[in-house]
Amino acid sequence: MPALEKVRYKPVPVRDLFLEMKNLSELMIDLAYSAALFNDRELAEDILELENRVDTLDYLLEMTIMIAARDAHDAEALAGVSAVASAADKISDAAADIAAIVTQNIGVHPIVSQVFEKVEERLMQAKVSADSSLAGQRVGELDLAARMGVDIIALRRDKDWIINPAKTEHIRSGDVLIVRGVHSGIKEFKELAEQKHQRRGD
Amino acid sequence: MSQEKQARFEEIVERLVELKDTSELMIDLAYSSLLSNSRELAEEVQRLEERVDKLHTSFELLVLQSEFDKEEAKGFLGLIRLGVATEKIADAAAQISEVVLRGIEPHPVLQLSIRAAEETVAYVPVAKGSPLVDKTLTEARIPEETGMWILAIRRGNKSIRPKPDSKIEVGDVLIASGYAEGVESLKRLSKR
Repeated sequence: MPALEKVRYKPVPVRDLFLEMKNLSELMIDLAYSAALFNDRELAEDILELENRVDTLDYLLEMTIMIAARDAHDAEALAGVSAVASAADKISDAAADIAAIVTQNIGVHPIVSQVFEKVEERLMQAKVSADSSLAGQRVGELDLAARMGVDIIALRRDKDWIINPAKTEHIRSGDVLIVRGVHSGIKEFKELAEQKHQRRGD
Repeated sequence: MSQEKQARFEEIVERLVELKDTSELMIDLAYSSLLSNSRELAEEVQRLEERVDKLHTSFELLVLQSEFDKEEAKGFLGLIRLGVATEKIADAAAQISEVVLRGIEPHPVLQLSIRAAEETVAYVPVAKGSPLVDKTLTEARIPEETGMWILAIRRGNKSIRPKPDSKIEVGDVLIASGYAEGVESLKRLSKR
């Protein structure tokens, strides 16, 4: 069990705290299903770490809104913020529960993964082939969201996962990417990554 | 593996996918209900939460009724845990929608974080004779034509998470978000 850190108050805007909690919790769900279905231990462990991060953010957020409330009216409005933040925390807990299926060596029945992969239209893993046009490009240069409605949510290089890679991150051949988005875009992206046929210049 | 067993597996996975899709749809709708302070949308989330509870029970029963070998027990436990996680996610979504239902005006901090835009949510029924009928969402090109984004499709008492190949039927209610101007164009498109 990881050591829990003492959370000290830091002046961070509530908006930033909440936004990070919301984004992380949603990202974690997608990552957790990927970890469970591909039985990926390293990814599952990273999700458990992210869960700690969300817990810390939740503490900081609670502290910040306690300081911010000056009167009954403030308290009423901020109680809503607290309820929503704790829901985001609950979502990240659920993602951690899914990750724990993998870290506790329980696993999901392999047949399920096979069937699931066929019907899951939002998540995909692809390995960047040596002659893929993606290799060498920065995540930001690809403009994936606008071009095909997909988003790289994690990238595995050798043994490490890079969660939510920065726009400046270079993609290399051999990287394993987890992508989420619309079905058609995901298929297009998989072809691009694995370069089944040449589709340059279109 | 016997064909019967294979069929049973597919049924289990189908239910799991429905649980997963519904719980994620609920999160989208719950945040949208906050963004637009929409009671109607928040109530939709509550309805879906009841549906997930029922689905979850029938999913668990189905898993427990399947005849699995001893070595497969762990894999089935994993399945049950996945189901529990979807239920927890649905609960969290319901908790978000309750803020709206309790009449707490969503704090601007939340609305700013969800999307920094003046968006509304519209419920638009699809009439007979509308050009949208029998089209898939990809073919209907609603975001391109109207600037509205489809959050969910309500069909009878079911809410469907929109997928590119979801077909629009007469009587569907499109739940869509976007700028106020888009609502009118979507309504025009759904009538005729």
